[in-house]
Amino acid sequence: MPADRILEVCDLRLAFRNWAGTTEVLHGIDLAIAKGERVALVGESGSGKSVTSRIVLGTMQDVPGVQVAGKVRFDGTDLAEMTFKERRRLRGREISMIFQDPTMALNPVFRIGALFHEVQKRRDPTIRRDAACARAAEILREVAIEDAERVLDSYAFQLSGGMNQRVMIGMALINRPRLLLADEPGTALDVTVQSQTLELMRHMVAQYGTSLLFVSHNLGTVREFADRIYVMYRGNIVERGPTAAIFNNPRHPYTRALLAAIPRLTGGGIPEIAERSEAFLEPMFIHPEVTE
Amino acid sequence: MPPPETAFTGNDRPVVTILSRLLRRLVSTLLVLFGVSLLIFLIARVIPGDPARIALGPRASEEQVEAMRETLHLNEPIIVQYAFFLGDLLRADLGISLYSNRPVMTDIAEYLPATLELVFLAGFLMVSLGLPLGALSARYRDRWPDDLIRLLTLLSVSAPSFVWAVGMVLAFSFAIPLFPIAGRISETIDIQVVTGFLLVDTIVAGRPDAFVSALHHVILPAFALSLSGIGQAARLTRTNMIATYEQPHVEMARAYGFSERDISRRYAFKPSLIPSLTVIGLDFAALLGNAFLVEVIFAWPGISRYGVGVILQKDLNAIVGTVLIISATFLIANIVVDLLVSVINPRIRLSEHGK
Ligand SMILES: Nc1ncnc2c1ncn2[C@@H]1O[C@H](COP(=O)(O)OP(=O)(O)OP(=O)(O)O)[C@@H](O)[C@H]1O
Ligand SMILES: [Mg+2]
Repeated sequence: MPADRILEVCDLRLAFRNWAGTTEVLHGIDLAIAKGERVALVGESGSGKSVTSRIVLGTMQDVPGVQVAGKVRFDGTDLAEMTFKERRRLRGREISMIFQDPTMALNPVFRIGALFHEVQKRRDPTIRRDAACARAAEILREVAIEDAERVLDSYAFQLSGGMNQRVMIGMALINRPRLLLADEPGTALDVTVQSQTLELMRHMVAQYGTSLLFVSHNLGTVREFADRIYVMYRGNIVERGPTAAIFNNPRHPYTRALLAAIPRLTGGGIPEIAERSEAFLEPMFIHPEVTE
Repeated sequence: MPPPETAFTGNDRPVVTILSRLLRRLVSTLLVLFGVSLLIFLIARVIPGDPARIALGPRASEEQVEAMRETLHLNEPIIVQYAFFLGDLLRADLGISLYSNRPVMTDIAEYLPATLELVFLAGFLMVSLGLPLGALSARYRDRWPDDLIRLLTLLSVSAPSFVWAVGMVLAFSFAIPLFPIAGRISETIDIQVVTGFLLVDTIVAGRPDAFVSALHHVILPAFALSLSGIGQAARLTRTNMIATYEQPHVEMARAYGFSERDISRRYAFKPSLIPSLTVIGLDFAALLGNAFLVEVIFAWPGISRYGVGVILQKDLNAIVGTVLIISATFLIANIVVDLLVSVINPRIRLSEHGK
């Protein structure tokens, strides 16, 4: 059924090359997201979640010293066969992204309205500022911002973190992308605000029918969020399956360790996995797909 | 759905904020100028030699010198002399130049515009070449354009501007006579002085030929004067841009497909300007000091050359006047830079207390 896959990653390998030699950090990742599906990528710090999402986004490939092997297909087209320009064309139009710290991710010297304008120019280069702002105000109301006009007229530093996160969600979805990447969204925010905005994001993604790749180190956060989960450990996927299966019947020792860490995790900190264990290096466990 | 969020902070009156900031800067500038006037006045009075005698020459009689001392209030206590000086200053009267026998104000009005023209053009070159070179360097970090720009800018900052001035005169006025050696405009051209800025006056007079001649005269000294400033501005901008490139908002710009060109010209450039501008403002003010030697080398009839002349002549009124005017120009340049920074930096513009 490759036809309804928005994203398909096969045997993805990534290595950084520098004067000291080559370090491989992804050792053959397989990952797929169906259209409209929400998928979570979970693993401890340094396991390679962010680099995976940057490869899907297409920016990692342009970093000097980076070697990428394997296939990344977006809507059936291999990213590696695209030119730099074609890959850039996808970004902001077909693929967009939400970041960890919304306030830092918004340009400090542009008003929110100006940023919305720039983002919408990606889809419609001739759009005028007032038309862009009107559309932006609409989507800001959808993310439950009441004084949208004032927000559009502000700079990020004038708004609260939660407000900026809502702005970021609106900005990410305004061009109706088909795939949304969220790399630990809002972990820089406090827990209540984070869960509020995540709930909002879930709602919006469902409404817009956007596929989602949700990156987190916290299995707890993704429970409500994902249809399927990939568990990642040191550059490998160690277990994958439907959310319920992962939670009810974790099979890989590393997944069990992650799950055991959840209760202490409501603060959103980095999981304290007991220690490194040989068992974590066991081969991947694939839960059977259940049709819903 | 989560509850709507309305918590909000902000300032509706950025213009008022900027005006009050300007006002505060003006007051502190006046205080500084007052201090400068006192200092330079004292220095001018304690250096040895009798100004009246110097003005009248060795053949003047004792009576003549004494009469001169009387009219110049040189026999009064120094505090009274300063009071006279300050009173005159408030009436924009800097006294008579003992050397040229004209009001110092008249001399300054004649020579200052030439210097300002040179310094403004040098400052313009510094900003309009230095900033883009720095941005380009950061965009192509560690690739050949960056290597080339870094090499050139390192060269440019490695010698002071008078060395460049001498080099350029030798190379482009003597060896290859592309540029005139001295003056502000061709001797055969007669132009009505309105502003004293020849580049402006020639346009006002509707004389393109004269404008070209003025530009031809000013461009080499301005370039020599600005060369190390260009290098500094470029290196500073590069450093700040590279720091900005590490910011999440640049990653966001890339994630949304903004082009590297737009990032280098706008998204990363504007935030990087904020830390650069203050330093560039100081560099700009330093041009005024460097202009002294460049003016001498290019025989540029400006205030700096005048200043050197009056110092050698121990022309007290003229020395004090020149230093005061140069300090005032320096301080005004700083205010302008400060205002520019607050216009570009919304954090300053929008905060009630400036910082
Ligand atoms: N530019 C780079 N050069 C060299 N190594 C890198 C680079 N970027 C990432 N790495 C390495 O790749 C590995 C994966 O990094 P990545 O940022 O994807 O981790 P992560 O799973 O997102 O962790 P975190 O939860 O801390 O964000 C790490 O070991 C990191 O050191
Ligand atoms: Mg990460």
